[in-house]
Amino acid sequence: MKKYKFLLIGILLIAFILRFWRLGEVPIAPDWDEVALGYNAYSIMQTGKDEYGELLPVVLRSFDDYKPALYAYLIIPLLKIFGLTVLAVRLPSAIMGVITVGAVYYLIRELFQSKTLSINNKNIPIEVLALAVSFLLAISPWHIQFSRIAFETNVGLGFNILMALMFLKGLRNPKYLSFSVIFAALSIYTYQSEKVFTPLLFLGLTIIHWKKLYSLPKKYIFIALGVGLLVISPMIYVTFTNEEALARARGVSIFSDKNTLLKENVQRLVRDKEKGDIVGQVFNNRRVEYGRTIAANYLSHFDPIWLFIKGDYDVNRHHAPFMGLEYIIFLPFFLIGIYQIIFGKFDKKTKATILFWTLLSPLPASITTGVPHAVRTLNFLPTIQIYIALGLLATYLYVQSLIRLRLIRSGLLFAAMILFVLNYTYYINQYFVQQNYYHTLDWQYGYKELVDYLKPIQGKYKKIIVSNSGEMTQSYMFFLFYLQYDPKTYLEDGGTVSGGFATRKNRIDNIEFRSFRYEDEEEYPMLLIGTPIDFQSQHKTIHTIYYPQGSIAMKIVEKTNED
Amino acid sequence: MKNKFNTLLLIVVCIIGVILRFVGLSDNPPSLTWDEAAWGYNSYSLGIDGKDEFGRFLPVDYLESFGDFKPPVYAYLGILPVKIFGLTEFATRFPSAFFGSLTILATYFLIKRIFFKSVHSEAYALITAGILAISPWHILLSRAAFEANVATFFIVAGILFFLGGIQGKKWYFSVSAVFFVLSLYTFNTARIVSPLLVLVLGIVFWRKLFLLKKYTMLVVVIGVVLTLPTVPFLLSPQAKLRYQEVNIFSDIKVIERVNQHIENDNNAWWSKIIHNRRFAYGVEYAKHYLDHFTPQFLFIKGDGNPKFSTQVVGQMYLWELPFFVMGILLLFKKREGYWWIIPMWLLLGIIPAATARETPHALRIATTIPTFQLFTAYGLMWATILLGRHKKYLVGAVTIIAILSLTYFLHNYINHYPYNYSGEWQYGYRESIRYVNEIGDEYDQIVVTTELGRPYSYYLFYTKTHPEDFRKSAQIRRSPFGFVDIDGYGKYRFTQDLHTNDNTDGKLLYVNLAEKTPSNANILRTVNQLNGKPVLSIYTL
Repeated sequence: MKKYKFLLIGILLIAFILRFWRLGEVPIAPDWDEVALGYNAYSIMQTGKDEYGELLPVVLRSFDDYKPALYAYLIIPLLKIFGLTVLAVRLPSAIMGVITVGAVYYLIRELFQSKTLSINNKNIPIEVLALAVSFLLAISPWHIQFSRIAFETNVGLGFNILMALMFLKGLRNPKYLSFSVIFAALSIYTYQSEKVFTPLLFLGLTIIHWKKLYSLPKKYIFIALGVGLLVISPMIYVTFTNEEALARARGVSIFSDKNTLLKENVQRLVRDKEKGDIVGQVFNNRRVEYGRTIAANYLSHFDPIWLFIKGDYDVNRHHAPFMGLEYIIFLPFFLIGIYQIIFGKFDKKTKATILFWTLLSPLPASITTGVPHAVRTLNFLPTIQIYIALGLLATYLYVQSLIRLRLIRSGLLFAAMILFVLNYTYYINQYFVQQNYYHTLDWQYGYKELVDYLKPIQGKYKKIIVSNSGEMTQSYMFFLFYLQYDPKTYLEDGGTVSGGFATRKNRIDNIEFRSFRYEDEEEYPMLLIGTPIDFQSQHKTIHTIYYPQGSIAMKIVEKTNED
Repeated sequence: MKNKFNTLLLIVVCIIGVILRFVGLSDNPPSLTWDEAAWGYNSYSLGIDGKDEFGRFLPVDYLESFGDFKPPVYAYLGILPVKIFGLTEFATRFPSAFFGSLTILATYFLIKRIFFKSVHSEAYALITAGILAISPWHILLSRAAFEANVATFFIVAGILFFLGGIQGKKWYFSVSAVFFVLSLYTFNTARIVSPLLVLVLGIVFWRKLFLLKKYTMLVVVIGVVLTLPTVPFLLSPQAKLRYQEVNIFSDIKVIERVNQHIENDNNAWWSKIIHNRRFAYGVEYAKHYLDHFTPQFLFIKGDGNPKFSTQVVGQMYLWELPFFVMGILLLFKKREGYWWIIPMWLLLGIIPAATARETPHALRIATTIPTFQLFTAYGLMWATILLGRHKKYLVGAVTIIAILSLTYFLHNYINHYPYNYSGEWQYGYRESIRYVNEIGDEYDQIVVTTELGRPYSYYLFYTKTHPEDFRKSAQIRRSPFGFVDIDGYGKYRFTQDLHTNDNTDGKLLYVNLAEKTPSNANILRTVNQLNGKPVLSIYTL
């Protein structure tokens, strides 16, 4: 037993190193959502209000995202220690990442409900599987990706796993059920997808373990229900009364861009109507098209290329360069593991829980655009690791029984280890080195350098205009963050305004954030800051900020009376 | 009683298959591709004097055609239909539709042989045949002159007779050898897939083959001798060039990328190991291989090329998905009979297609076709078994959904597909050539644009030019890369720039892209695609 605890500590140490080493520097810069979370936390800490002046918000309006706000609150205590820094903003996610790795170990033990596992007619201690899954999660590129950035999804995943763990523990000791419900609520306060995923997972667990649950003392169940309702009611209230929040949900859904989605469908329908084709009019009904799209979106997450080779097709922030979400050498074991879960000698409830969890994970993303989407489907973890671990164990045991010669077995194991080390080294290199070359634009590099340059000379100019379009969209937030601009002053000046042309009003002292035409601006002396495409005509660049790989990120252009 | 019922079902399945493959064959797909026109005309030419369009007598290694060096069997198969039905779209597509239909029957017998030990073999075979009969993938391939579709039949038949040999009559082996060899002469991809298949089958059944020493040797010799005529061509530079053009391993970007990776690591020794170009190409290959297993390709939209998919239904129907997954899992679990042939066939069949840049490719993996349908059938059968006495609900539901899906597919294929994609099928040639033919006598020369692609093959096809006339007057230009361009024959001239070096005397008639028609043209006729977009215009100046 001690041996396993020892190994678990080792795994946690690995998880810790992979998540904390150079946390503030890799990824090379915070993206807009990260700085927004940071500054809103800063603002709430100092004034109790977010950038829009909303008092103790349950949802953060942040760029009209209307996202659950818990992550911002988690940052607050860290701000006291580390100040308003990238490190502080990313820490909650990293800490939760390590907790998740540990929680998964216990989850597996609860999930399989027995001391030993029978794989290929051999018995192995459950701790072996638990350690394997925990280890695979500790080194999982997908999990590391979101543990090292301030994305709410990773904290949501952690809460979901704790929720499931407490639920399963609660089946034996019903006191835990209340904790399960609390974690479920926390998850919903953390991330959008969980509003769909967490209740359904909870429901699934309830149905699968109905009999056991029903036999528990009713008292605990009522307490859990009561606690749950109490904790979640503010969120329910906000979700269903906030018109703008609902609008945002519609904004990312497949129904937002009906024209593109239904274009061909409508053309077909028109032709069917012209021909009087009744069958065609039924088939080309828009509901059929919606159904097809949702099915396609759902299935897009069961794409081996997405999982193991490329990662998200459009958003580089969601994976290391030239990498999938998991190690490519695990693909065969992943498949073998699925086979094992379905046909292995495990408890039916265990199988049902794991498969249900997997099949549920892509559901929230299915009604959104931009699929497959690694952020919205992070809940695939840790089931992916369970399949891979089972596949590895089954293969190992199979080879062990197939090949009697110890030397050959050791040779095979050695070869496999070398392949793994190569794949692992490749990932570490891609993440910590190559990413800072290939994905700097995606990580919106340059603002720290920009603000550092501007701070001492800001007073010399009557006006500074910073572009707010293209790659510099939402530039105001980066300034608030890096200037550590006093939230009280900012809110007294009106705070953030958003929506259409209103954003033109956003300014900090003499800095304005809006798109501009170089020729039209005439308040000398002034600075204009933008990307190279903002400056087409003759101009005087006083400073240029370069991406680490050499191309131009931003230009600082001076305009005076003489120009 | 039961037997009779099964036979009746098989007949019904085959009839459905034939109807779906033959009805409206001339008009949908809406037009001939240049490859189809070339097949038809070469069949016509071979039928007249035993020579291909360029005058090679009974070519067995290749048809030069557009410089793509087609394996020639399809042209030979077309001779008889062209003799009977004339040089028409129907006759040209006939071999594909015919062998496509026959594949359904062959698949039935093959599946029975593979699962000979199972009490369900009859059911597996019937369901697989049924799903193949209504398969969107197989229907589309069978309705155009795709040589791949014929090769699929030869491979199915090859495996069928091989297993026949294993299970009894040893002379079946020689039939099997002939089918496999035929597949080599039919479709490029089969030149890799068939030998691999035979190799694996030979290794697995080596004991049996070893017992039949003499006979095995004889069959091997027959096979090798029959393959010999194509060997010189396969070793020729043209074959190599053609291969490299579409090959991922000639993609220089991969090397540039790993070099950049290594540079970013300051040329460290370990970096050169993990960023070895062989690994990078390996991953690239894996990507192209796995492309064929994406849900988008299989169940949602199908191949991005509308020639192989209607774009509204995948290569398979969406309803097949749960059974397909179940089928794969259960096939590995139950391990009935020669079950392993199915996954082995599928995995080998994708090897050549995955070396190409454009993947997934429904045509290049056509040689694996009945394996996909078998998985669905296997899963479906076991779903009914596992449901026990409730199976009637499942059977009822699946039947209804399958019929609805088929109707949905057919509705789109019949009513919308020709309209949306006539351009993909080079629509416009037939209509323009008919008109040119009507009025052509009044002109001294007819100048045709090459921008719609290889017009000469269509002019040969639709004017039924006698091959000897063509060979005498053709102005042939062969590029160093082996491509063949025809600049003209008879009174036709084919060129890209119709009006640049216009020094010909006499009365000229022009056939040009509608959008490139000069403003001073006297337009006699405009040919529209089926969606109303003008494609070709016929005019004088």
